[in-house]
Amino acid sequence: MHLSVFNLAVVGYVCATGLALAYLIQREEIVYRFASLATLASWALHTVGLVALAIQTGRPPLGSLPESVSTAVWVVVLLDLWIERQYGVKVLGAFVLPVVLVLSLKTIARPTAFAQIGPTLGGAWIWVHIALATVGIAAFVLNFAGALMYILQERQLKGKRPGTFYYRLPALETLDRLTYRTLALGFPFLTVGLVLGAVWAGTAWGSVFAFDPLAMFSFVAWGIYAATLAGRAVAGWHGRRAAYFAVMGFAALVVTLGAGLFLPGRHGS
Amino acid sequence: MPLFVSGLNHRTAPVALREQLAVEEDKLRELLRDVQATGVVGEVVIVSTCNRVEVYGVGEVPGEARAVAFRHLCRHRGVDPAALEPALYTHLDGDAVHHAFRVAASLDSMMVGEPQILGQIKDAFALAQSCETVGPMLHTLFTQAFAVAKKVRTETEIGHHAVSVSFAAVELARKIFAELGGKAVLLVGAGNMGELAARHLVEQGAFPIYVANRTWARAHDMARALSGTAVPFDELSTAVATVDIVITCTGASEPVITRDSVQRIMHGRRGRPLFFIDIAVPRDVEATVNTLDDVYCYDIDALKQVVDANLRERVREAQRAEALVEREVVKFRTRLSDVEVIPTIVSLRERLEGIREGEVRKALARLPGASPETRAAMEALSTALVNKILHAPITKLRESSRTGTGRSWTELVHELFGLRSASRKTDGGWGPRV
Repeated sequence: MHLSVFNLAVVGYVCATGLALAYLIQREEIVYRFASLATLASWALHTVGLVALAIQTGRPPLGSLPESVSTAVWVVVLLDLWIERQYGVKVLGAFVLPVVLVLSLKTIARPTAFAQIGPTLGGAWIWVHIALATVGIAAFVLNFAGALMYILQERQLKGKRPGTFYYRLPALETLDRLTYRTLALGFPFLTVGLVLGAVWAGTAWGSVFAFDPLAMFSFVAWGIYAATLAGRAVAGWHGRRAAYFAVMGFAALVVTLGAGLFLPGRHGS
Repeated sequence: MPLFVSGLNHRTAPVALREQLAVEEDKLRELLRDVQATGVVGEVVIVSTCNRVEVYGVGEVPGEARAVAFRHLCRHRGVDPAALEPALYTHLDGDAVHHAFRVAASLDSMMVGEPQILGQIKDAFALAQSCETVGPMLHTLFTQAFAVAKKVRTETEIGHHAVSVSFAAVELARKIFAELGGKAVLLVGAGNMGELAARHLVEQGAFPIYVANRTWARAHDMARALSGTAVPFDELSTAVATVDIVITCTGASEPVITRDSVQRIMHGRRGRPLFFIDIAVPRDVEATVNTLDDVYCYDIDALKQVVDANLRERVREAQRAEALVEREVVKFRTRLSDVEVIPTIVSLRERLEGIREGEVRKALARLPGASPETRAAMEALSTALVNKILHAPITKLRESSRTGTGRSWTELVHELFGLRSASRKTDGGWGPRV
């Protein structure tokens, strides 16, 4: 049952993405309303799917990497809808939803065999590790969207030739704040998630890295985010430099997830 | 429907003619009454702004009504009617509705999207109302025109983007700083345009304001005018370091703010952006400051570029607004044709209601001991009868108005039910034309 609901949700996200991009270019209020509606409806379907999956498997929908990414997508869309309303950044969807789509295509459409966490992997800590990392990833999707919007808007303002982005995107200050806040939100989650994962890996696999591609790349991503946060907090980094780092961090995160999803490793594919 | 609009605007008449015809309020009252007194025009509203003089009216013979209106106008203003003729346009019925909507929505303005016109039309309408020259037809037309104008404002971005250099500067500032409230502004020099930009920023909540000028007295005066503080010209860099927005408009032949000085300042600001609005020619700020991180420098040409882009946006939005107006005209014509048959429906209802009440009263007089229940039952019975009988004719009338045959059907109903065409006599031209 949950499979078809997931697929419907993905179809919904495809429509929502198309509409959000159309709104960015077309700027018709009605298009925004439809995009919003499509996003909300798909998210509701997604919720139903996740709940159904949890009921069917008797555990949180975080049992395999694809499931966790799917849950992360769910959190991302929730945050996107909230920020759009709270801050009035109506174009956020146009930047967040394509990422959602990319993450969904591999993970929602074919959630591979669930219950990959076998009895040996049991214990509450593993769930905490996954849940924290999931929320962290969700925050960094929004961090990336904010950074991308900052770079585009800054380029418009420096270039002095106003185009679509100039008219559509919010003020630089707003975008910088959004990027900082999502970083400050995501980083602790990712950090504690990674530490728990490493500690747990040390005891279960006998080594912190254990030649797992996802674990290795995730430390690269963490390093980039740590540097950005340190730079912001201590050295007064901000604006374009912070935005470039956010994009780099997210690229590393995407590689991390890609490695987990496509390369053989302990996180399963 | 005998609705018309006739007049001239900035496209059809030169300013020399428009200024001759512009009418002030007192004269307008007189004119409205004179025009209505002729009896040719049932309802009339006259819009007189610096860019247009238009007569909106309802009359049996629009050509004649138009001629009367402008003859009066010309006589009031001492203008030769013959000189006026080539500049005049007239739109009837649906086209008049379309025109009214476009004017109210600022699509017919010299500067498309300018917000003043709606207020001017509202004033003209209020004036005509106070002179009692507005009837149901123009009332419906104007209230709907106001609604359409509001819809255009909210659903398109026709009035969103600044089309003057000083407002474009404010708009840019809002794209850099989310909120202008509490942003400090430094005005260097005493040019008018700089003062204007500073005023706009103050209106948006910018505070505090500093003013620097080579002449201390002028800095002092300007500071007082802007409720700001004068700072010595020698301490310009110090002042620049503390503010968020710098407006420059001095007459200096060399830049007063150099890239090196700004670079030094930026070190201590921890990423607080700095926005230079350089309105001076020759420029006051070295153009290369724009290459520094967090520094945005717009000179007069760059600001004009923004204005040009905004104008293109307006044209784009105006196209969307035109489509919206077209849709509203179609909707409104349906409503207006309803308005055409409504007086007949009302008098038909009144007639039958009158008969009903009379007969019930007579019957009750013959039943002195009737219980309240009996009375209520008789009321209910008679009311139901009237409603049932009225249902078919009213539906038919409404339908006919939409298919354009409203006039012959209203005539027929008047004949059949012996309705007086009183409405026509009292408000002249309004209501069924029997």
